[in-house]
Amino acid sequence: MKKITLLTVSLLMLLISTASAHTALMSCFDEGDGTITCEGGFSDGSSASGVEFYIEHKGNVILKTKMNEYSEVNFKKPEGDYQAVFNAGEGHRVYIDGKDIVE
Amino acid sequence: MKKLLIAMILTLVASNAFAHFQMLFTPESALNKGQKIELRLAFTHPFADEHTMDMGLQHDTKTLAAVEEFYVINKDKKKDLLSTLKPITWTGKHNAASGFETAYKAKRMGDHLFVLKPAPYYEAGEDIYIQQITKMMVNVAGTPTDWDKELGLKAEIVPLNKPYTIWTGSTFTGIVKQNGKPVPFAEIEVEYINHAPDLKTNAMGPAFVEAPHDSFVTIGIKADANGQFTFGIPKAGWWGFCALGAGSDTEYKGKELSQDAVIWIQAKDMK
Repeated sequence: MKKITLLTVSLLMLLISTASAHTALMSCFDEGDGTITCEGGFSDGSSASGVEFYIEHKGNVILKTKMNEYSEVNFKKPEGDYQAVFNAGEGHRVYIDGKDIVE
Repeated sequence: MKKLLIAMILTLVASNAFAHFQMLFTPESALNKGQKIELRLAFTHPFADEHTMDMGLQHDTKTLAAVEEFYVINKDKKKDLLSTLKPITWTGKHNAASGFETAYKAKRMGDHLFVLKPAPYYEAGEDIYIQQITKMMVNVAGTPTDWDKELGLKAEIVPLNKPYTIWTGSTFTGIVKQNGKPVPFAEIEVEYINHAPDLKTNAMGPAFVEAPHDSFVTIGIKADANGQFTFGIPKAGWWGFCALGAGSDTEYKGKELSQDAVIWIQAKDMK
């Protein structure tokens, strides 16, 4: 029993250290064809495939999707101000203002 | 008069002893977001800036042979950049010579690993050819993707820490390889780009520091039995590492060829 508890604690510590050791990262660019591509990643080089991504526009979420197998998402450029959000969980969210996304 | 002549010859010999380095230069290796970057290719002596050489100079025709390979790898995708090279004249402190310029859109996230294989250059002072297979990388937005790739080049330095993530006072570690295999006790020369390259005029600027002794101009080190080496980085800026004769090709046009492996790293101050 003690061994199982020790193993559980060790595994939890490993998970905690893995989760905190890396930083969520995102970079977006304007494709010049009316669409935007955002690429996600982590500082340890791990894939962002399947990580949640959404667009906030005037306080509303107008697009909610997941990063594809290449850790990226392509979407139609919204009109006016918007924010692209890479949501890899608490403490691992990255926000990029639409005005900072250029060709 | 005789003494002056001897002194001049000795100075020339000493100058020639400084290391040749194939520069593959861009001002910034760690980019916060994707952008177009400028690149300059020049064959020079980056610390002393004593002599700039014509890239690809041939001994028989006296012409310049074309660059053999120039490409970039990002997220495992290779893009040929050879056709983007434009000839320039690169000006050093004492002379000017032929090099190249190009611009590249480092748009995508991750590492952009540049590889340059120039044509062998004829070094008349030693009656040999020198070919420096050169790696340099730029990262966009922090995610590591390609920096540690082993490309299996004839001569290659594979980095063990990211060449664009080095604090001043920390270290750089690499392994010298020939066709993917470590080169035991490889001889490595280390030089600092001691003159700010001016990309508008394609020229070297004034020197940052003075070497207290000639041995500090080109610092000679050796790899260990596994081809691995570590070097402490004392100052911010670009540092070049050149593994001499690490490559598998040893002859070109009937003359000795030194096929070297070069890698560039950029250190930043903590401030």
